Amino acid sequence: MPAGLRACSSSVNLPDLCALKTGDANAWDEAFAWLWPTVFAVAKLKLQPYFPNEVEDVAIESLEQLVEKVSEVKSVEELKPLAASIAHNRAVSLLRKRFAKKRGEGKTDSFDDPQAGGGISQNEPTTGDSPLADLEQKELAQRLGKSLAELKPPMGDILSDFFLHGLRYEEIARSRGVAVGSVGVYLKRGLETMRRIWGREENS
Amino acid sequence: MNDQRFFDLAMKVIARQANDGERTDLDAMLADKPELRAEFMRLEKDTLVAKDVLPLMNAMRETKGELPVYARGRLQTMVRQTLGRPESAAEEPDRRVAWGWRWVLGLAAATAVVVIAALLSIFHAPNAPVIQLAMLDTAGGTRGADTNELATLRETWKGIPVQNFSNASELEAWEKNWPNGDGRPAAKIIYDAAAGEVRVSGRSRGRVFEKTFPVEKDLATTLQQVGVFIREQTKR
Repeated sequence: MPAGLRACSSSVNLPDLCALKTGDANAWDEAFAWLWPTVFAVAKLKLQPYFPNEVEDVAIESLEQLVEKVSEVKSVEELKPLAASIAHNRAVSLLRKRFAKKRGEGKTDSFDDPQAGGGISQNEPTTGDSPLADLEQKELAQRLGKSLAELKPPMGDILSDFFLHGLRYEEIARSRGVAVGSVGVYLKRGLETMRRIWGREENS
Repeated sequence: MNDQRFFDLAMKVIARQANDGERTDLDAMLADKPELRAEFMRLEKDTLVAKDVLPLMNAMRETKGELPVYARGRLQTMVRQTLGRPESAAEEPDRRVAWGWRWVLGLAAATAVVVIAALLSIFHAPNAPVIQLAMLDTAGGTRGADTNELATLRETWKGIPVQNFSNASELEAWEKNWPNGDGRPAAKIIYDAAAGEVRVSGRSRGRVFEKTFPVEKDLATTLQQVGVFIREQTKR
């Protein structure tokens, strides 16, 4: 990447937003390479169980949509949450469309967390429980960005260990190198943070 | 009441990790303070939120995976159509207009051309770089301009055979396949007509280099710039 492209970048390792806004091909190459793992992972998360062949297309379309929206972006750090939110909403929209066709009705299920397992988790799409499914893309991006900023390691990892991977307190303590008593503290603070950011009461 | 103790018991029960003793303790707490039931239900809902949000957050931290080669041209086309070319690349307005027409024609033909010539040197020194040139033509080489572009490539790197690719996956495989070269520097030159650019990647003395050259004026001029770039990168 030419050094000049970073002239108005605020972060050393991130693409230069000014260059992106002027359509600089090299800056966009860098941005696409940086954002691809995220949009692909989000699309895969939503579509793999139902329409795995659509994952790549949705990821590419998400980056295309991001190009259209870059003029509204104020800082380069907003790009990743924005890309994730676009990919999420495109994937959910596709699922709704396809399932509505199959069912012959425009049923508006939430397709978030299709792969969740364990006690509370559900293997079938749920209705109305997700704070994500009906959020406007801009708001979703803002909340994702905030979550990413506030749930710093090891809190985010510990939350994932417990809620996504079903690890017990003792297993988490061992793998993360923290006291067993600290695991619950991290979980409690993490959930409180998420409750504050995602404002579940307003959305449920 | 111990908030943390209640939270830990609630979490374990919600996650179905609690043993009999812990379930009994939680039941006792709930019986003693009925208002905790509301908090327990909130935690159940918080858990659902966490299960929705955390996978997305993990996806945002994902760093593995490479953009497919075929997607790059499509995305760069979107960039050009949406944002135009950067001012620094547009030295003269009439040039931009002229190129714009060529670009539209290129898109209309839906042709992506990548030119690669295999394993021949453009230089004659013993340690001269190995150059590979290739051309991806998804339209099957039917466009007249392709012939001219091919001739320009051959003229620039005389004697180097040009290989045509008809799909991106073949090109991707080719891009990953580097010649042995006996320690000589190597460079791959890819002309992508649909994207209106020439991409260069190479290796020299254990160092990797790459650059994209938008075709601003004409292909011949751009290829000269590519040649200079490769010489600079491989003489170090």
